[in-house]
Amino acid sequence: MSNNNQIDSSHEQEGGVPFFPDHFLKEAAVMALLLATVAFLASLMPMPVGEPADALKTPLGIKPEWYFMTVYQILKYVPRNIGVTFTFLIFPPFMMLFPFFYKSVICKWKYGRLTLHTVGALGVITAIFFTMLAYLGFE
Amino acid sequence: MAGAEGNGIMKRMWTGVGDFFDERFDMRRVIKEFAEHNVPDHVNWLYCFGGITFLCFLIQLVTGILLAFYYQPTMDQAYSSILHIMDDMPFGVFIRSLHAWTANIMILMVILHMLRVFFHAAYRPPRELNWLTGVLLFFITVTFGFSGYLLPMNQLSYWATKVGSEISASMPFIGPSIQAFLLGGAKIADATLTRFYAIHVVILPVTITILLGLHFLMVRKQGIADPL
Ligand code: HEM
Repeated sequence: MSNNNQIDSSHEQEGGVPFFPDHFLKEAAVMALLLATVAFLASLMPMPVGEPADALKTPLGIKPEWYFMTVYQILKYVPRNIGVTFTFLIFPPFMMLFPFFYKSVICKWKYGRLTLHTVGALGVITAIFFTMLAYLGFE
Repeated sequence: MAGAEGNGIMKRMWTGVGDFFDERFDMRRVIKEFAEHNVPDHVNWLYCFGGITFLCFLIQLVTGILLAFYYQPTMDQAYSSILHIMDDMPFGVFIRSLHAWTANIMILMVILHMLRVFFHAAYRPPRELNWLTGVLLFFITVTFGFSGYLLPMNQLSYWATKVGSEISASMPFIGPSIQAFLLGGAKIADATLTRFYAIHVVILPVTITILLGLHFLMVRKQGIADPL
C-alpha cells in the first residue's frame, strides 16, 4: 500500500502498459461493444411514443423511471417530508463531502473505512430491494 | 490503390500537415505525452465504466442535436413533433430510440463507475475534489433523465413530472419555490415545457461539459489511484 497522500503520478512510474496502443485498443473494443449494444436495442426494441398527455385522465400505476424507483418506493413507507429531506438535503452534501474527512475522521478509527464501505454496500442492497418491491407492485 | 510513389506523396503530405501544426502549437509533444503515458497494471475491466459513460454522453450529444432539428417544445406540438420524427424522418425511430436507450445505459454506467470508485476508495485524498466533481456529474446525469422524460408529452411524461414536482414540493422551506421554479406556474403548461427544454438542451449540456473537462484534467494530473 503505497503512500496515497501524495499525488501519485502513476503514468511517470515504471510498469504498467502504454496508453497507446495497448490500453487504447482494449478501450476501443469496449466502445465498439457499447455502440453495438445500443444500436441493437434501438433497432429491436424501439421506444414507443405512448398515449398523448391528458391532464384529466390519471393513468393506472404511474411509474417513474427505474433510477427514481427506490426513492419513490421508500416514500410510500416513510413520512414524505422526512424522506424528501433526507434524499435532497442530507444525502447529497454527505456524498460530496465525506472524502474531505477521510483522514481527520474516518481513518481515526481502525475500522472506519470498513464501516463506511459496509454502510455503502447496505445502501446498494437497500436500493435494489426497494426497486424490486416497486416492480413487484408492493404498495 | 496508390503505388509506392502515391504512398510517398500521401506520407509527405501528412508530414507537412503535422509540421504545420507542430511549429505553431508544439502538437507532437502534447500528443506524445498523452499517447505514451502508462496505465498502471492493476487497471482491470472495472475501470471501463467511466469511459463508457463518456461515450454514452457523446452519443446523446449527436442524437440529441438531430432530434432538436424537429422537436418542438410546446404543449400543442411536442407530441406530434415526436410522431413526425418517428413516422416521417429517415432513421427517426432509430435515432429517438438510440437517445432513449443510451440515456438509460448512461445512468446505469455512471452508477457502476461510482460504485467502482467508492469500493476502491479512490475518493480518498488527494482525489476528494474529483469525487466531488463526480457526485455533481451524477446528479446532472439523473437530471438529464428527469428533464428529458417530460419532453415527448405523453401520459408517462405528464404524470411522472406531476408526481416528481409534487415530491419536490414537500421539501421543507424551499419545496414550494422549487416546485414553482420547475413548473413555471401552477401546473404543467407551455412554461414548464420550455424551461425543461432549456434545462435539458442548454443548461445541463454546458454544465456537464465544464465538469467533464475538470474531471478528466484531474484524472490525468493525479493518475489512477493505487489499489487498496
Ligand atoms: C458523466 C459522468 C462521468 C464520467 C464520464 C466519468 C469519467 C471518468 C473516467 C473516464 C475516469 C478514469 C477512470 C475510470 O474510468 O474508472 C474517471 C475517474 C474518476 N471518477 Fe469519474 N466520471 C463520471 C462520473 C463520476 C462520478 C459520479 C463519480 C463519483 C461520485 C466519479 C468519480 C471519479 C473519481 C474519484 C475518479 C478517479 C478514480 C481513480 O483515480 O481510480 N466520476 N471518471
